[in-house]
Amino acid sequence: MFCIIAFVVFSILSLFSATHRPLAKEAMACVFRRMTLRPCNTGFKEKVKSRLTAKLAVRSTFAARTFNRHSEVFSWIFFVLMLWSTVWVIRGGVNFYLYGSCNGLNASGFCVFDPTGSNGKVTTVENTVCPTGPVEERKVTLGDLQLQNYPHQSEAGAEDKLVFIGCYSCDYTRKAYPMIQNILKLKPFDYTFIHFPAKPETQFLSDYVYCANKLDPQKFWTLNESLISSSVPDILAPKFVDGLVTKAGYDAGEFQSCLIDPATDAAVKKQEEEILTTGLYGTPTIFINDGVFVGPKPDRVYKRSLKGFWW
Amino acid sequence: MALDLQKIRQDFPLLSTKVHGKPPIYFDNACASLRPQIVIDVVKDYYEKYSVCGGRSKYYLAEIVSQKMDAARIAIAKFIGAKRKEEIVFTRNTTEGINLVAYGLNWKAGDVILTSDKEHNSNLIPWQILVKTKRVIHKIVPTHEDGTFDLTAYENALKEQSVTLVAMGSTSNLDGVSFPMEKIVSLAHQHGARVLFDAAQTVPSQPVDVVKLDVDYMAFSAHKMLGPSGMGALYAKYALLEELAPFMVGGSTVEYTTYTDHKFLPPPEKFEAGLQDYAGIIGFGEAVKYLESIGLDAIVQHELELNTFLTAELTKIPRLKIIGPADPALRGGVVTFLVDGVDSHQIAMMADEMAGIMIRSGQHCVHSWFDARGVHTAARASVYLYNTLDECRTFTETIKKIISLF
Repeated sequence: MFCIIAFVVFSILSLFSATHRPLAKEAMACVFRRMTLRPCNTGFKEKVKSRLTAKLAVRSTFAARTFNRHSEVFSWIFFVLMLWSTVWVIRGGVNFYLYGSCNGLNASGFCVFDPTGSNGKVTTVENTVCPTGPVEERKVTLGDLQLQNYPHQSEAGAEDKLVFIGCYSCDYTRKAYPMIQNILKLKPFDYTFIHFPAKPETQFLSDYVYCANKLDPQKFWTLNESLISSSVPDILAPKFVDGLVTKAGYDAGEFQSCLIDPATDAAVKKQEEEILTTGLYGTPTIFINDGVFVGPKPDRVYKRSLKGFWW
Repeated sequence: MALDLQKIRQDFPLLSTKVHGKPPIYFDNACASLRPQIVIDVVKDYYEKYSVCGGRSKYYLAEIVSQKMDAARIAIAKFIGAKRKEEIVFTRNTTEGINLVAYGLNWKAGDVILTSDKEHNSNLIPWQILVKTKRVIHKIVPTHEDGTFDLTAYENALKEQSVTLVAMGSTSNLDGVSFPMEKIVSLAHQHGARVLFDAAQTVPSQPVDVVKLDVDYMAFSAHKMLGPSGMGALYAKYALLEELAPFMVGGSTVEYTTYTDHKFLPPPEKFEAGLQDYAGIIGFGEAVKYLESIGLDAIVQHELELNTFLTAELTKIPRLKIIGPADPALRGGVVTFLVDGVDSHQIAMMADEMAGIMIRSGQHCVHSWFDARGVHTAARASVYLYNTLDECRTFTETIKKIISLF
């Protein structure tokens, strides 16, 4: 057992230190002998054990004695820890492949394969009804959402459903949006886009989305593209957005009438309350069939939720 | 007379270095001694000032090499009390000297070679080969339980069967026990046998007079007596050298050659084939001069003092057993020990790591002895003229601490 541990440790050290390579080779020879059911008679164990014990003895006789007498026990402990950590590394790798995070779908925490955590970042919903602290992914559902009340596209033969809840001015929504557009090109979809003002300054855009969808749902998608592709400072200026509305082909007067209509305000508020019933805690939150993805994920993660895509 | 240790230690540059951040404690002298600055200097001088061929060329620098080589041969001959410088044949080491005798003698089937039961592999394997190739008989004289020489068993062996050659280590590298060389030679000669001593451990630490001993052959190494590595010598009575066939032949060994024949030079040249290790020879000569300046009697006394301390302290440790006689006076500068339940390699490695102490562990090239007794390995500390009582104290304290860890 000692040799196995030494082999692993010295192999790793060998990557960075040439002086440890001969020790790694010796350990490998020892492991090989054990694997071929021969005794490890190279003296490697004694050498390493003696050196470690001697180094400890200079500092603490008790520690040296404990290590020397129970080195096999320590080796087993390290071996079990090594197996355990290996299982976790493999689990992390699988999770990263499947969900874009070592810790599982929509889970936060450090991931060695995604050290910046970019696949799990969201713009948190700054609303009093939003939960504080960690929120479990399973609590986010489509809830009472009436999808027909939001901008919606249904292509002929669509067997996949995609609901994108995002915020026009949020960085992670903007990061995920192009990926979702690429996904939408793969096959026919039943697609819904919902703007949720995660940042309060985008609150007014909810009214624009509502009116655009109410007045001409087809033209909404042109406006939607313009809002996403324009810079954040620009879309925070109502005058600039008015310009986009006109460019999308809406009648400016009719659109303004809708915006100032008290019914619009009431409807938008109702929609926001409805959206919060999903348990939304950050944008983007993307529903693809049965999958719920909070934060921008790699393409492969979205694709795996599509019907007929399993890899 | 007590040795001036402070002065002696200054002569050995390695002693002023650090090992694992500590001053080195070198206790592996039975393997190889340290080298004094004077030996290092003359070796360096050869390469810097006259690194040319000796013996064959006639120019100025070649003459210097020849003269220095000759002076070294004289110094070494004088050191062991040889009558003539021509009785010294330069070899690479003791092993080569023994092999020269083994392969140079004219063996007949049934010839008997007598060794002790704790010979170094160098004085065992050549005879085992001869048993197979020349059908000689190899007989082993057992030693006493404590490793001392069993004169009765030896005499009986000589009487039992006509012995051709007695080949023995005069001082064991295993336990440091010296055999009664004079008695061994006189009894052998009484029974018509010649004697070859493996004196690798004897010559560095004890006064040896080959004429007084009347020994026939004696091999020894420079590296155990402050000289350069890869140098040694074989002493043999001149008449015996004349009848001994060369072990290796070639350049420098012949007076002339024709396309079909050759004529060897007289000893020692006929045994020294090819270009010699001039730097090593000159360094060897300087080493014996250094030892003479110190005095071998003083070295014997110094080793005894250190070994007495080591023995007294080590025997206090439970589970530790010293190989060889209890009396340190019978073990020269060597103390070989084993500890029940502790691998000697681990002791050696830990002593090195913890206190920069260098001792030998293993079977010390005497595998046959260990095999016959079912002993795995042993640790060996061997002291020499530059070791101190303080070093011995550190050593024993360290060994005690190491054993307490098991």
